[in-house]
Amino acid sequence: MTVVRAVARRLATAAVVLWAAATAAYLALLLAPGDTVDSIIGDGPDTPQIRAQVIAEWGLDRPDVVQYLDYLARAARGDLGRSYLLQRPVSDLIGEHLPATVTLAAAAAVTGVVLALAVALLTAGRRPLLRRAASTTELVLVSTPGFLIGIVLLNVFSFRLGWFPVSGGQDFSALVLPALTLALPVAGVLTQVLRDGLERALDEPFVVTARSRGIRERAVLARHALRHALLPAITLVGWLSGILLGGAVITEQVFGRPGLGQVTLQAVTAKDMPVVLAVVLLSAAVYVAVSTLADLAYLLVDPRLRRS
Amino acid sequence: MRRTLRTTRRLLLAGIAAFAVTACTAAPPVPTAADAGTPVSGGKLTWAVETEPITFNPHQYAQAKARLLVWNSFEALLTHDDEGGFLPWLATGYEAAADGLSYTVKLRTDVTFHDGEKFDAAAVKANFDQLLAPNYAPAVAAVQLKNLKSVEVVDPATVRINLTAPDVLILDFLASPQGAQISPKSLRQAANLKAGGVDVVGTGPFTLSAYSPGQQVVYKKNPAYRWAPANAGHTGPAYLDEVVYRFLKEPSVRVGALTSGQVQLIEGVPATDQELIDTSPQLALHKQLNSGSAYSYFLNVSHAPFDDPKVRQAFRHAIDVDAVLRAVYRGTATRAWSIVGPTSPLYDKGFEGRHGFDAAKANQLLDEAGWATRDGEGFRTKDGKRLTVRLVQSAPFVRDRRDVLAQAVQATVKAGAGIDLNVSVVDQGTALKALEDNQYEVFDNSRADTDAGAALNLLLASTGAINRTGYRDPALDALLAKGQATGDQAARVQVYHDIQRVVLTDQALVVPLYAPADQIAASRGLGGVRFEPTAGVPAGAYNIWIAK
Repeated sequence: MTVVRAVARRLATAAVVLWAAATAAYLALLLAPGDTVDSIIGDGPDTPQIRAQVIAEWGLDRPDVVQYLDYLARAARGDLGRSYLLQRPVSDLIGEHLPATVTLAAAAAVTGVVLALAVALLTAGRRPLLRRAASTTELVLVSTPGFLIGIVLLNVFSFRLGWFPVSGGQDFSALVLPALTLALPVAGVLTQVLRDGLERALDEPFVVTARSRGIRERAVLARHALRHALLPAITLVGWLSGILLGGAVITEQVFGRPGLGQVTLQAVTAKDMPVVLAVVLLSAAVYVAVSTLADLAYLLVDPRLRRS
Repeated sequence: MRRTLRTTRRLLLAGIAAFAVTACTAAPPVPTAADAGTPVSGGKLTWAVETEPITFNPHQYAQAKARLLVWNSFEALLTHDDEGGFLPWLATGYEAAADGLSYTVKLRTDVTFHDGEKFDAAAVKANFDQLLAPNYAPAVAAVQLKNLKSVEVVDPATVRINLTAPDVLILDFLASPQGAQISPKSLRQAANLKAGGVDVVGTGPFTLSAYSPGQQVVYKKNPAYRWAPANAGHTGPAYLDEVVYRFLKEPSVRVGALTSGQVQLIEGVPATDQELIDTSPQLALHKQLNSGSAYSYFLNVSHAPFDDPKVRQAFRHAIDVDAVLRAVYRGTATRAWSIVGPTSPLYDKGFEGRHGFDAAKANQLLDEAGWATRDGEGFRTKDGKRLTVRLVQSAPFVRDRRDVLAQAVQATVKAGAGIDLNVSVVDQGTALKALEDNQYEVFDNSRADTDAGAALNLLLASTGAINRTGYRDPALDALLAKGQATGDQAARVQVYHDIQRVVLTDQALVVPLYAPADQIAASRGLGGVRFEPTAGVPAGAYNIWIAK
């Protein structure tokens, strides 16, 4: 019973978050300078006759409140409208680009997490020189713009060595460099957090107990300290999904890959309201899902939380 | 025997080269094909382009950078030659009525659309009807077709276009992407007609076979094609079996993809990489100036300080255009002297060397106009107010590093004459608001219209859709109307020379800066790479072959 209630509460919260996100985005677009008719016309010819047609086509003569309520009603039924700019249903557009972004983000997330775990476990509390070198590299990666990482990787591994294509068929080789571009800064942050957690855990009394039982150092790290270190890292997954979506904008642009990042960039610059709103709704949904998963992961990692 | 063959081939090559050279003098668009030998059929070309079109429906065409895709699968009734005239394409010829109020167009009878529909007069009428349909192409209906009265089907191979006023620009429309012919079946049935796609088809040498948004578009050869216009380079089907256009927005990535052999052709070569490509033995660089209006600063005369012609003249004399272009584009840009682009038949060469950089004159004019004092930062002032002019650029539409160019101009007018050019690069909404609220003194623009007259109508007429100077003059309007109505080419050219005089000499409304150009870099194994006559943008893939 409590499970049902918990799920229902989650769902209700999710609905409120989605509504708030859509409304905030709607308001932001409404308050941004320039009206919708201007954005649809772009830098092309602009006469009263053209404006009248644009207004009639998109129903822009209705009061803002009516347009907003109409949008909410249609969105609730799953109708996201048509793109002002591309003249196609928004759901088609999102559907076309979503798989590419999900593939890229998943590949980057897995690569980033694996890299972070490996580096953190190898360097935590040991070998000062190695630790310092790794830490410096992480800081450099975190502070380098994704754009630059992408260009450098392309120059070396695609243009010079010819190992990977710059873009093209959606096979595995075309995914390597973009995924790495997106994964490196993520790995940088995660490693720092993980290592910090590991080192703090290693100072705890339970580690002394474990060691006194004759467990090997590697097992102490992987089995005992890591669990403690994971908690703050899990808190970061919300941040991670944001970074991956934001980073996808740049990565997709540099590598000429399809994906939501490109769609978002184009929609925001052109003030293509239906597309922007759909992307906001989708991101909000992803955040809700990810933070739910994170809450469940806490329970998995930390037995203390399961009791309460 | 062998030897003879080789000699013959060499002679042939020399012949082609010689032809290419003579062709170059008449029509710069055709680069030498000596490296690629004689044309051969077959193969797949990968071409990296800068711009992903927002639509594949030619009626909705609005991006000059997407023009190179249009003519692969679509065709128009007429096409431009390289001297300001027209050649028949899907038409066999046209005749203008003596009063200029109607055009009778004869059509080819051997053309079919990719979906098997027959091309005839009814199809042409269906296309016009669609263009005038509500909520379909308001900009075309309001600008190119504003003088259209009706379209009649005289017989299956003849249409008559009736106008409400004489309008020679209707021929330009018939040769434009917006005037391209879409299959009537597509017009009736396409899922997303305005977006275009594989179900919106034309009659061209290629069919659009697959579109992967954000990544690429693939065209396949149309084997039934045999109606190329006379200046297309050859007749019959295209040489290539398949063309893949890959969307690579980053210039350095396009260049890297080319130099590493991942693509064979790129368009849009940044100034910094042009020398690299020019000196590479495997690559060839081709450049061509675009049609339309030159990239210019338009001065807003509706309020101070540019309501004073002396200040406008001074601003123009204060800009060292040559130095600015050298600094920003490393000598790859072509300076403009008139609002009309230098390749247009309407261009007046007489302005070359006139109204240029002259700091002494700029300072003298400003002294005369009352901006005689200077403030602490060295800017000129009048009644305690600094001589500030604002240029607002809309970030999504900034190209060719025009934001950097503006900074260079800012430095030169400050140093030369103490003018404060305030440049801001903002989002589109903010830029449009500044224009609407008249909170700007300088407006920058270039137009890629194939007929420069069409550009000037928008930019200069009192009611012009892009009139940002605020200059409204019935005499200038009359000249523009006359230019649009005059069929005789020599008389028409004279009208536009007069217009350029009013704009440049009499009123100093415009500061021409450079003539926009397109660049193609290609592997030397490719032949038939060319630019579209008149438009000066990269042509479609019809005439390109891959040497074996």
